[in-house]
Amino acid sequence: MKFSNRYIFIFITIIVVICAAILTLASVGLQPIQNANREREKMTQILKASGYSDIQDVIPFFKKVSEEITLKGEKNDLLVYQVKTKDGQPCFVMPVRGKGLWGPIWGYIAVKQDGKTINGAVFDHKSETPGLGAEINTDKFMSQFEGKLLFDENGDFTSIRVVKGGVLNSNIDPSMGVDAISGGTITSQGLEKMLKNSLEPYISFLKELQTKSVIQK
Amino acid sequence: MNIKKYFGPLNKDNPVLVQLLGVCSALAVTAQLKPAFVMALSVTIVASFANLTISSMRNLIPPRIRIIVQLVVIATLVILVDQVLQAFFYDVSKMLSVFVGLIITNCIIMGRLEAYAMSNPPIPSLMDGLFNGFGYGLVLIIVGTIRELLGSGTLWNFQVIPHSFYEMGYMNNGLMVLPPAALLLVGVMIWIQRAKG
Repeated sequence: MKFSNRYIFIFITIIVVICAAILTLASVGLQPIQNANREREKMTQILKASGYSDIQDVIPFFKKVSEEITLKGEKNDLLVYQVKTKDGQPCFVMPVRGKGLWGPIWGYIAVKQDGKTINGAVFDHKSETPGLGAEINTDKFMSQFEGKLLFDENGDFTSIRVVKGGVLNSNIDPSMGVDAISGGTITSQGLEKMLKNSLEPYISFLKELQTKSVIQK
Repeated sequence: MNIKKYFGPLNKDNPVLVQLLGVCSALAVTAQLKPAFVMALSVTIVASFANLTISSMRNLIPPRIRIIVQLVVIATLVILVDQVLQAFFYDVSKMLSVFVGLIITNCIIMGRLEAYAMSNPPIPSLMDGLFNGFGYGLVLIIVGTIRELLGSGTLWNFQVIPHSFYEMGYMNNGLMVLPPAALLLVGVMIWIQRAKG
């Protein structure tokens, strides 16, 4: 059968319009469920940084133990989640956001009441290389952050160093750094930069916590 | 209807083991059984419905733009599957990440459209897509089972190898969770398939 150009144009236009309509419907219809999933994942990550894993009913639990605090920052308002940990002490969870090798990486850092010790950290990524940079969201990598210090003895903000070749083999204090991922150098560097940049605006908040906890003692 | 004539992809016409199509995703998503199963299911759905759609309008499609029409149909189905996964199987959709989108370029689907759906009626085309999906899925599930069992000691995230084994000194095989293990396993399966006939 011979098809005219006119027929071809009309045919493909109809097909494309039908497909576009189907996809639009699906996208709009499923959006609320997808957003709810993302929201739930965010809560799971915040809870995980605060030391809760394997929570079944995330949303009611999250509402019960956490509280959102907005801080006045220099440029933008800063968001902190105050979460009651298992031992009854509050911890403060701060979102961090940065750039990996292929796309965005992000996470949550929970700091203990003393304002300098990390309670837990959770990281995730959009499209880092599986087996290399993508390892940042494994427990093996994330658990390294527990108990690390964001400030040195002089009270200066040092963030956390992500050390290539292992923190024990370097001249960096083991309480201020973690091991980078072999083969994931750019992701590791991006993560270090993300921590520094994202936590910097919180310095005054964290210092406030430090003075408070000293007074309480 | 003689259903036996569609069984080829399960054995001597297997898309992965004999035609060597769709190998990339077979290597990438088989570290665990669950994503492998969902991937197999997604490809089966896309292959069946793409075949059905293209076959129903095969006499209307101008041959000069048939590849474009096929791609539009495949892409629409894949995006639909992706959206549904993101809504109802969020964890799995995160595990599969880009590989769902890459079903669009899976040669099995386009191959079946060109080779079968363009010249056969809708119902046989649907069956053809279904069984080619099964053939692909079969390989994924076998590889996924072996890799998860030996690599993590679990199946579908349930602990299968008892803890007492670990206490006696058993260790998970670290190679199994990495992509090269899938390559080795698929290689061995191709070898067996060839040796059979």
